[in-house]
Amino acid sequence: MRGWVWIALAFTWGLQGCSEGSTERKVDALDLVALEDVDGTLRPDEVHLRSQLLQPLKGEQPNLGMRNSAYWVKVSGWQGAPRNARIILDNPTVDSIDAVILDGPRVLGRQRSGAAYGKTEDLIPTFNLPLNVNHELWFRVRSTKPLVLPFTLTQVDRVKTMRVQRDLALALYTGIVLAILIYNCFLAFSTGQQAYFSYVLVVLTVGLVQWSFNGYDRLIWGHIPWMARNGLTMMGASSGLAALIFAREFLEVRRYTPKWNRWIQGLLVIYASAMLAALLNQPLLAYNLVNLGALSAPAMIVLSLISWRRGNTSALWFFVAWLIFLVAVTTQALRDFGVLPSTPVTALFLPLGTVFEMLLLSFALGNRINLLKRSSDAANAKALAASLENERIVKQQNAELEMRVQHRTEALGQANSELSGALDELKGAQDQLIQTEKLASLGQMTAGIAHELNNPINYVQSNATSLRRDIEELIEIVDAYSEAFAAMAEGAHGAQAMAEAAAEKSRKLDLDFLKEESRQLVAGILEGADRTTKIVGGLRVFGRMDGDKPVKASLAELLEASITVLGNRARSKAKIEVTFEENLPELWCQSGKLSQVFMNIVVNAVQATESRWSDAEQRSVRVELKHLKAMGEGVNALEVRVQDNGTGMDEETRQRVFDPFYTTKDVGKGTGLGLSIVKGILDDHGAEVEVESTMGDGTTFILTFPITDEAQTKTEAA
Amino acid sequence: MTEETIRVLYLDDEEPNLFSFKAAFRRDFEVHTCNEPHKAVRMLDDAEFHVVLSDQRMPRISGVEFFELIMPDHPDVSRVLVTGYADTDAVVDAINKGQVYRFVSKPWNEEELRNVIKAGYDLNRSRVNNAQEGQQVLAAMDGFVGDLDRLTADLNSGHEANNVAQELSLLKGRMMEERIRYGRWVELQNSRSK
Repeated sequence: MRGWVWIALAFTWGLQGCSEGSTERKVDALDLVALEDVDGTLRPDEVHLRSQLLQPLKGEQPNLGMRNSAYWVKVSGWQGAPRNARIILDNPTVDSIDAVILDGPRVLGRQRSGAAYGKTEDLIPTFNLPLNVNHELWFRVRSTKPLVLPFTLTQVDRVKTMRVQRDLALALYTGIVLAILIYNCFLAFSTGQQAYFSYVLVVLTVGLVQWSFNGYDRLIWGHIPWMARNGLTMMGASSGLAALIFAREFLEVRRYTPKWNRWIQGLLVIYASAMLAALLNQPLLAYNLVNLGALSAPAMIVLSLISWRRGNTSALWFFVAWLIFLVAVTTQALRDFGVLPSTPVTALFLPLGTVFEMLLLSFALGNRINLLKRSSDAANAKALAASLENERIVKQQNAELEMRVQHRTEALGQANSELSGALDELKGAQDQLIQTEKLASLGQMTAGIAHELNNPINYVQSNATSLRRDIEELIEIVDAYSEAFAAMAEGAHGAQAMAEAAAEKSRKLDLDFLKEESRQLVAGILEGADRTTKIVGGLRVFGRMDGDKPVKASLAELLEASITVLGNRARSKAKIEVTFEENLPELWCQSGKLSQVFMNIVVNAVQATESRWSDAEQRSVRVELKHLKAMGEGVNALEVRVQDNGTGMDEETRQRVFDPFYTTKDVGKGTGLGLSIVKGILDDHGAEVEVESTMGDGTTFILTFPITDEAQTKTEAA
Repeated sequence: MTEETIRVLYLDDEEPNLFSFKAAFRRDFEVHTCNEPHKAVRMLDDAEFHVVLSDQRMPRISGVEFFELIMPDHPDVSRVLVTGYADTDAVVDAINKGQVYRFVSKPWNEEELRNVIKAGYDLNRSRVNNAQEGQQVLAAMDGFVGDLDRLTADLNSGHEANNVAQELSLLKGRMMEERIRYGRWVELQNSRSK
């Protein structure tokens, strides 16, 4: 950065030196009078006729301002100049300059120059002097740019030297600009910052403006007449546009000074309009618009100040750059209007100003890039810190997570052990339930047996009591008769009366009835005794009720006993038909448990019929027992079939009928364990059970007990 | 006690029990037996019984259910449940639904059952008596109210106050008599229940 400053300063001094070398001796004696030709239609021969309208032009650099009119300027005071003297109009922006030598109305000579002709040799329009001192030298000038007319009398050699000096100065300037341009181009592409690209544009256009300003642009587009005339305007507008675009990006107008965006847009419109006007062949309007656009210089200054005040530190550089530019432009303007002397020093102000502006803007950009880099570094550092913090948090969370997982695992382990505890409890509960079911069926059996026994016992006992009374009465009658008979045999007195009394007694006690009743009472006693014997006999078959010891038993007896013990609960509620085959082999079994099986199945069958039929006569349960003879594969088994005409069951119930806790009974009416226990007992006996059922038609339980030699069923092992 | 014959009905599905019962109690009571509940209902409708006994375990209908059935039409008859084996459910049902007067278990004790039947007869009589007494008191009350209405009307239609007063004192006398009679009856009931 510092190096740049030194280089810039060196160039400045260099330029200064060149300018100083070109210092021109002004020929004060030149007198200028001008005639305005509003339409630009005056012919040279008409000019002298209007000499009364001539206005004298004052100062070294008379400024006629910007007019559409052509001006006829009569230059005098050159008389007496040496032969190698020439008149120069050192303003390369004047569109057309016609030097006319007049002798009265007669045109003696003509020399044409000016920007509009695009000739490169006319960068310092140089004109010969008339040979005759009596001839008049007129210049017809017309321009779309300010008509500043620094007519100077000088020597031919001087002009050449001036031109060389000019070329050198511009070369130096161009060198600086190119250096800045290339360097910033490089920066633009390497940083990719958009501000650099617009800055490059600024440098390019400002450089071109300076070229145009000094007429050098005709080197580039002098052969295009329109560009030759409008080059300066177009470059001015372009540089304005570029500067504004750059400013907008550099100052981050939208961020710091959003309200100013409107103004900048307005200025952009002005420049764009200037270009449009130039294109529409309104060069004056275009130039004026460009001048109006110069408002952007103070605007930029204010804007950059505001932006700086609002914290945009790079804006200060920008401010200084534009301030210098403004000073330079102002100086130029003051020079143009003759407020400042038109010395080579003042001529340097504008190019130097632009150079400094460009340099400062470059520094500003560099500063801004550094700032950006710093803030980006800070952001990076922040991001790094954030990511480090994140990492720390993640680590912490991981640790926490691990801890949680550990806790969870422990909790799960605990839950698991609790669950297995609960499972054990459930198993216990299940065992208890099975025990309860066993007790319940035991209770049912007990109730059945008690009732079945108590009835015959009741009438045996009651009949015995009644019979005793009857016998006493019979004895009474017999006694009475035997006494009467004895008396009669002895022929005792009153024997007849005694016989009558005996007959009376027998009539009174209803002897016939007593005889009949006695017989029936005895029959009842015998029947009761018989029934009691049968029941007890049935009980004997059961063996020990919950005994595990296998005994050899007849299934027929077991079935019969089970049905007997069920008693009223089965017999009185449904018609129970029993069909047993004769001479069946006995079976090793746990008789008590099997009776539990049979009772359970029969009771279920009876209940199923009860649910279907209200009339007991229609309820039917058939119990069959038969021997499945060896059929080819040596099937030797006993089959028990319990068939009812009850409600039947659906497929789901049929399949789940042996599932523990599955019940179709109301809650509290059944444990759902009965048939599951039955299944268990049958499995222990190696027996198979099959259920056939049709909904609404009845159910058949088919139990098949295999007969093995000596029936070494696994029950024995138990 | 009254000399009236005690009419007893015994319901049981087992014939030998019916025969035993009749043989045992024919000398003390007028015994009727039946082995079909619906026949028993008809018999109750046809003639007055003082005590009804029923076996609990019967096909189709239990003793308790039978009692439940006859309750609305024969509320006064004493109900005795005879059962070979009574589980808790049966007992609870008997009390709540059948309003059984007594339980007798088989085999029965003849003397005990005889006393039960006699006590059942007493209860039946007392229930009937209560109802009759209630009717009598109500009728007396109605009479008194009628008399009072008549006297009020007489007084309003300008009968001599002296005559009315005389009638009132006579009415009061009759009311006192009724009061004393009812008091004696209540006293009698109390002494009996003790």
